[in-house]
Amino acid sequence: MIDLTIDGRAVQVPPGATIWEAARLLGIDLPVLCHDPRLEPVGVCRLCLVEVGEPKLTAACVRGAEDGMEVRTSSERLEVCRRGLVELLLSDYPIDASGRPKTGSDALLALASELGADWPDRRSRSGETGEAPRSRTEPAGGIPAGQGRPLDGTSKVIFVDHQACILCDRCIRGCDDLQVNEVMGRTGKGYQTRIAFDLDAPMGESTCVSCGECEKVCPTGALSLRVWEEPPKDAAGSGNTGWEVL
Amino acid sequence: MTTTTLLGELKKRGVKVRRRGERLLLRDLHGALTPELRAAIDAHREELLATLDGAERSTLRSVDSVCPYCGVGCAIRYFVDEAEDRIRYADGRESPVNHERLCVKGRFGFDYTSHPDRLQTPLIRKESAYPKGPLSTEVRGERKRRPGGLVDYDEVLPHFREATWEEALDLAATRLVEIRDRDGSGALAGFGSAKCSNEEAYLFQKLVRAAFGTNNVDHCTRLCHASSVTALLETIGSGAVTNVFGDVQNADVALIAGSNTTGNHPVAATFIKQARKSGRTKLIVVEPRRIQMADHADYFLQIDSGTDVAFYNSWMHVLIEEGLIDEAYIAERTEGFEELKAVVAGYSPEVAAGICGVEPGLIREAARTFGRAERAMIFWGMGISQHTHGTDNSRCLISLALMTGNIGREGTGLHPLRGQNNVQGASDAGVIPMVYPDYQSVADPAVREKFEQAWGVELDAKPGLTVVEIMGAALDGVIRGMYMMGENPFLSDPNVNKVRKALTNLEFLVVQDIFLTETAEFADVILPATTFFEKSGTYTNTDRRVQVGRKALQPPGGARQDWEITCEIGARMGYPMEYDSPEEVFSEFTALAPSYAGLTYDNLGLTGKLWPCPDPSEDGIQVLFGDRFPTASGRGKFVPAEFAPAKELPDEEYPFVLNTGRRLEHWHTGTMTRRSRALHAIRPGPVVDMHPTDLEALGVEDGELVEVASRRGSIVLPAASSDRMLRGAVFIPFHFREAAANLLTIDELDPAGKIPEYKFCAVRVSPAS
Ligand code: SF4
Ligand code: SF4
Ligand code: FES
Repeated sequence: MIDLTIDGRAVQVPPGATIWEAARLLGIDLPVLCHDPRLEPVGVCRLCLVEVGEPKLTAACVRGAEDGMEVRTSSERLEVCRRGLVELLLSDYPIDASGRPKTGSDALLALASELGADWPDRRSRSGETGEAPRSRTEPAGGIPAGQGRPLDGTSKVIFVDHQACILCDRCIRGCDDLQVNEVMGRTGKGYQTRIAFDLDAPMGESTCVSCGECEKVCPTGALSLRVWEEPPKDAAGSGNTGWEVL
Repeated sequence: MTTTTLLGELKKRGVKVRRRGERLLLRDLHGALTPELRAAIDAHREELLATLDGAERSTLRSVDSVCPYCGVGCAIRYFVDEAEDRIRYADGRESPVNHERLCVKGRFGFDYTSHPDRLQTPLIRKESAYPKGPLSTEVRGERKRRPGGLVDYDEVLPHFREATWEEALDLAATRLVEIRDRDGSGALAGFGSAKCSNEEAYLFQKLVRAAFGTNNVDHCTRLCHASSVTALLETIGSGAVTNVFGDVQNADVALIAGSNTTGNHPVAATFIKQARKSGRTKLIVVEPRRIQMADHADYFLQIDSGTDVAFYNSWMHVLIEEGLIDEAYIAERTEGFEELKAVVAGYSPEVAAGICGVEPGLIREAARTFGRAERAMIFWGMGISQHTHGTDNSRCLISLALMTGNIGREGTGLHPLRGQNNVQGASDAGVIPMVYPDYQSVADPAVREKFEQAWGVELDAKPGLTVVEIMGAALDGVIRGMYMMGENPFLSDPNVNKVRKALTNLEFLVVQDIFLTETAEFADVILPATTFFEKSGTYTNTDRRVQVGRKALQPPGGARQDWEITCEIGARMGYPMEYDSPEEVFSEFTALAPSYAGLTYDNLGLTGKLWPCPDPSEDGIQVLFGDRFPTASGRGKFVPAEFAPAKELPDEEYPFVLNTGRRLEHWHTGTMTRRSRALHAIRPGPVVDMHPTDLEALGVEDGELVEVASRRGSIVLPAASSDRMLRGAVFIPFHFREAAANLLTIDELDPAGKIPEYKFCAVRVSPAS
């Protein structure tokens, strides 16, 4: 067994356990975006940063617990870093992706309010700055929006807003590793990187089997439900698929 | 701008708007938005933003229950809007069954329960609607079926009048008693349902046995795994799975035989695929269609439909020839091996290859892989059971497991994947004509005495008739009165034209259901029942896990709980059945069913328990038969089987082989899933899958209409080109009444399991003009 302390409290974990798991044993809830205990950790969002007495901060979800480790989970420095990370993720976040119906939680926005983060779209829309609202399709404020990160309403059950995606890969792991439907992956490079269904097909035309796992694990409004609509009046009816939930 | 003005402004501009709570649903937005409107919408959204995470959810009540669809029995949390009495969404819960995963039906298929078509008042057939017969032109078979059609309410409802519960129940009971007293108990029969709870199943069979006085009680298990259960009881003495599907992660090899697992047991399939992906488990898939599971397989053997016996016999031939059998296990735990050996000697892979259409080398290789495994699990589905030799197919799989010692340890076992959410439970509860609850034989005098004492009446010693036999007896006028709880034999039984005549011929029929089904058109009395979501009860999944389904919604209008209706009919027939709650029924049932002993609602908790559960502080026994089998000798028995071709082989006139089954998004006769927005939107209608080369030969393009005809009937539906099919084979799902696959199927039965041959009959396909 491995002995370590987290925020001054001692905890024992089996070899192979991560700092995040150790913290959870103590009931410490570290902020996470890309991690979910059901998934293999990938450590891409860095929200779970902790101090372990090294110059660099480390991601608790992937870093193994070590004997004698002294972990700090909160400090001014961590707070600043976490807020900074969230603000970066939100820097091109479209405000209409918020408040969409979801099975899971909209963890990104929840963290934003918790950390007091702010982001351009929210500022402009709320009229605080007098900036014109940014368009989804045209570059604004030096940040290139609309570079092939479109909306995809082709699935009958899940609405995809690529612009709201933070590439945490949770959906991809949910689809490929948990459900083993192996529909999802990534496509594109650089800023245009996005999640993809099959060989970048529209979701509704891909081999997706609508199990909903990707939507469930998505921590943003990028994948949301489109089911709060009326059931068809008649089974021959159109199925009302044209409704946009706003 | 207030929300109301905003709505007004949007409407003025031709935007279609609906309110869903605080949320707006907008359609035809494009181009209609001025900057002010955009800002107003944003402001509205800003308000929502204040309640960002989970706030919406916190206004909803959560109900921990299970899925109403398949035998996997996923644990689900439903989020209920109490003001609207509606489920808003569903999420998977942590449980040993599904670890939070769901499939499309479980996640999106709950809204049928709130559909306006729900029956809410008891209905009595009007005088003018006699003499009886089907009421809609479609069910009469006169009119081309409406695409996408369910029963046409406008056409059928005018033939019924609304009644009070008193009147409807009195009428039902009086007429049933009349028939019983005039023609004897044997003139009555009941179809229970594998969709109802254990409690409802128990009460239903109790009513039929104790009040009707007959064992003519059966349900759709007859149509799915009756042959598997027959074979299992005969060989290893127990009809349930010997291990849970999740244990596949400890298996070296998983054999999937005749099961389209990703379509019909989607969440169970995820665990099998995961085991394969982990590198631990090799996957062998044997199927006439190149199903999705085949894409994950190490070995895929695309055998011709109906040739399973020859195929598995040749596996056993190889295993014996190459010494890949477990001699010690055979010696200590089994009997009858020599007989089996003699039979399979005649099935070399070369012989089998000629029958099954698979290379002998491939048969050998796959058999070796299976034989060399330290631990192997066998999963099977309707592709094994729904044949006239379904029992033989199952016997072969069981022999395969016995000779390799693959029962009774971790990572091994036999797992017939059960179809309905409660088909295991309904069988356990005795909705089977030959056995009382917990498979206790009606023919055994000691057993009968026990139940006579418990129920306080004399019971019939004669085993009853099975589903298809009951329909036959109705046609012959032997069965005169029936009570159907949640079954729709018009679409689910083979040979619809015959079923139509049989139902018409019934003197009196009570149908208890949630929607007007095709079968209800033949009813004298229709009783509006509750859906899964409107009642509590226990359900037993394919793993033998007994789980509590908890009430989430109120029944609409005058609809009543199924168990109450059954009790009311009993009381009016002079057999009072009084209970305060399903819980009380459950304890009466568990007292009579040793396998369920010790289980209570309290100890079932949130994740249920496996039966048997000798120590209720534990989860129940996962792996059965580690030391002995519950047979007379304690040994497992080899029952050899010879290959016999299907009953109706293709010929010049009917050159194609028809296979029927299900699609991922739909359930059985479609009464539920076709009324679910998402499921219907994803798959709105039927298609017949055919090999592209066959289509080309017919001169038909993908999506064009074809007529599929058998000796019993014909249907018209669009063709879908699929290279997952073998040449000469066609596949049609049975959910869609406008192209009812069971108009075509043959009502030939397996002699032992009495299961119909849904998976094989000869058809002709031609372009529909
Ligand atoms: S809904 Fe489709 S894309 Fe999402 S996890 Fe399921 S199969 Fe994959
Ligand atoms: S796998 Fe079966 S039990 Fe699970 S969600 Fe799907 S239909 Fe329901
Ligand atoms: S949660 Fe640890 S890096 Fe994303």
